[in-house]
Amino acid sequence: MKIRISLLLVFLLAGASLFAESITVIFPKHEADLSGAFAARVKEFTSATKIDVNLIQMGWDDVNNKLTAEMASGGSSYDVVEFDNGNVAAWLGANWVEPLEAYMPKGYTNGMIPGLVDLFTGADGKLYGIVWNNDTRFFFYNDAMLKKAGIKAPPRTWDELEAQSKTLMSKGIARYGLAGFWKAEWALVNDWHFFVYTYGGKIVDKKGNFLFNKDPNTLAAVSEMVKLLKDGVMDPASLTYDQEAVNNIFLKGDVAFLTQGIPGIMAYAQDPAKSKVAGQVKVGLVPGAKPGVSAALTLPEAYAIPKGSRNKANAWKFIEYMTSKETNKKLAQQIGILPIWTSQYTDKDLVKLYPYWADFSKQMASAQGLSVLTWYNNFVDVCIAETQKMLSGKTTPQQTLDEMAGLLKDYAGKP
Amino acid sequence: MATYEGMTPGTSSGGAAVRGRPFNPLTIDEPRRLGLTLVLPSIIIVFGFLIFPFVYSLILSLMNYDLARPQDTRFTGLQNYIRLTQDRYFLNAVVQTCIFSFASVALEIILGVLIALVMNQHFKGRGILRAVIIIPWALPSIVNASMWSWILNANYGALNALLTQLGILHQYKPWIAEPGWAMLMLILANVWKETPFTVILVLAALQGIPETLREAAVVDGAGAPRRFFALTLPMIAQIIMICALLQLVWSLLHTFELVYVVTRGGPYNSTDLIPMRIYWQTFKALRFGYGAAMAYLSAIALLIPSVFYIRSAYKATVE
Repeated sequence: MKIRISLLLVFLLAGASLFAESITVIFPKHEADLSGAFAARVKEFTSATKIDVNLIQMGWDDVNNKLTAEMASGGSSYDVVEFDNGNVAAWLGANWVEPLEAYMPKGYTNGMIPGLVDLFTGADGKLYGIVWNNDTRFFFYNDAMLKKAGIKAPPRTWDELEAQSKTLMSKGIARYGLAGFWKAEWALVNDWHFFVYTYGGKIVDKKGNFLFNKDPNTLAAVSEMVKLLKDGVMDPASLTYDQEAVNNIFLKGDVAFLTQGIPGIMAYAQDPAKSKVAGQVKVGLVPGAKPGVSAALTLPEAYAIPKGSRNKANAWKFIEYMTSKETNKKLAQQIGILPIWTSQYTDKDLVKLYPYWADFSKQMASAQGLSVLTWYNNFVDVCIAETQKMLSGKTTPQQTLDEMAGLLKDYAGKP
Repeated sequence: MATYEGMTPGTSSGGAAVRGRPFNPLTIDEPRRLGLTLVLPSIIIVFGFLIFPFVYSLILSLMNYDLARPQDTRFTGLQNYIRLTQDRYFLNAVVQTCIFSFASVALEIILGVLIALVMNQHFKGRGILRAVIIIPWALPSIVNASMWSWILNANYGALNALLTQLGILHQYKPWIAEPGWAMLMLILANVWKETPFTVILVLAALQGIPETLREAAVVDGAGAPRRFFALTLPMIAQIIMICALLQLVWSLLHTFELVYVVTRGGPYNSTDLIPMRIYWQTFKALRFGYGAAMAYLSAIALLIPSVFYIRSAYKATVE
């Protein structure tokens, strides 16, 4: 009798699992999520909706590689996928993701930071992704180091940053002023954009015509990269560093400035277990070409629904739950992620928890995304090689920009 | 129409099949049908995983197939191949791959033979040493690459710490920031991993040399160098050739992890080997047609050492 009941239960459970709704979701593990906050919210979603989620979280590169193969083959393995802002033009060009208007309640994005919505809106005016990671980069400095050197205020311009760095280095307070993530990988081109933006430079126009090799501000920006290295202010090992290495060098107290820090750096910096500069770090405005000019880079990541998904309605339910104001606030409280909703920057609970967000919001007004081009990956390939050559002193900045234009000539005029 | 010519009456149990009669699988006798059924999975696997991708990628290589720009997809014939001959980054990758491969193989063979000669001597702990020597080769490539990435780290790397403590360096050096050093370090990392393979094969060959020959040479008054060049080297030359060819093929095929983890092809493409370039063009730039053309050219290049390897291996077997 017991065996029969057991068998019946097994069949019932198997049957139930066959008919249970489930979706598969893949996105990178957030760098600040050391406690499994995202996974906890996913469990809450399942409790609330009875939709099982097969959650796949791994490193950004791994997710990106996995998704490229999957999407290119037109697979239907995933229902919600990571949609990086660097992939917007390429993915929309390849018609890999679904416009969200058919699933999204009207006005859903009202109250979201407009720039984050714009970056995932196609040329057809349709929205293809909802941001889950407002990855805007901020300028951090070691206030204790500056005070020790008798410097009263953080730098407002690159010239001031260089002068302050030299003071700090000559007094033995810092090994170098700053370090760059200039290893031969994707992030180098992020830094390239960052420098260009802080000089008010232009890369391409909306039609894909090259501006970078003709624009004096872009030339000044890349020249600044060389100058920082040549003058010894930039850590000479920067050509071997990735972003994580640069963050660690700052948290170790080897350098005084971190020009493109992730928002979570502040939380790390205040934790003596993870940082040697606990209580010393402050947020400032990114230095620019001249006083009053500042710019930041934003690298948001969104959730999107692939064309091949067989559970698009449930996929949207997941996106809606995970990007709702409530979930966004919980994640902000738990691990300090930057909200995507403007109202949360004045939310009493959050402001109390993160007083430096007031500084973040000042910078966010000048945040810009990466170039939106279907051939962006080719731009990255060429930009990495030619910029590294320039940084090694093999070519001048103007030669570098001309060389890039020559190597990319097949794409000129193609957005 | 296909005819069933595999059998003649009286040569096997397949009496139903007769030369000249149209092939009909239903008329095959039981043992032959069983045989076909058993090989069918292999045929499907070979076709699915070898022949189909081979043909499909050949077709891709003749197309402008850029996933990010599907509107530009079209048949372009040999244009991808022609473009490759003018692609500065690809030509650079060919040169860097040649430098990496030949330097790696030369070092692996020289070191491998030397270590094998030492390990062929009788000394205490020889068994343990033989077991230990295989460890680098047994390590997964990705583990080896990560380990070397840490060894070469500009701030916390073991190499910098060691050289500084020995007084050879006065300050830490970012090894992979300079093209020459970066390439040298990749070669060293590859040699460290691949040399044990040569050691094991050469050691096996050395142990196949009759002891009496060595003793006769000693009696004839031949010194150690003479014995090595006149006796040992000719007898292990075939194995060395096989090792060199295999290592050459592997250095072309198995280096992706090392380059990807340690240098990503930098600084300024000075360690950008062909597998890395194919990866970038195919999976990063999404130019599947162009990437396929690169892969085909590499495969053709690989055929050359492969043919020599097969001939050497065959010769060794016959001898």
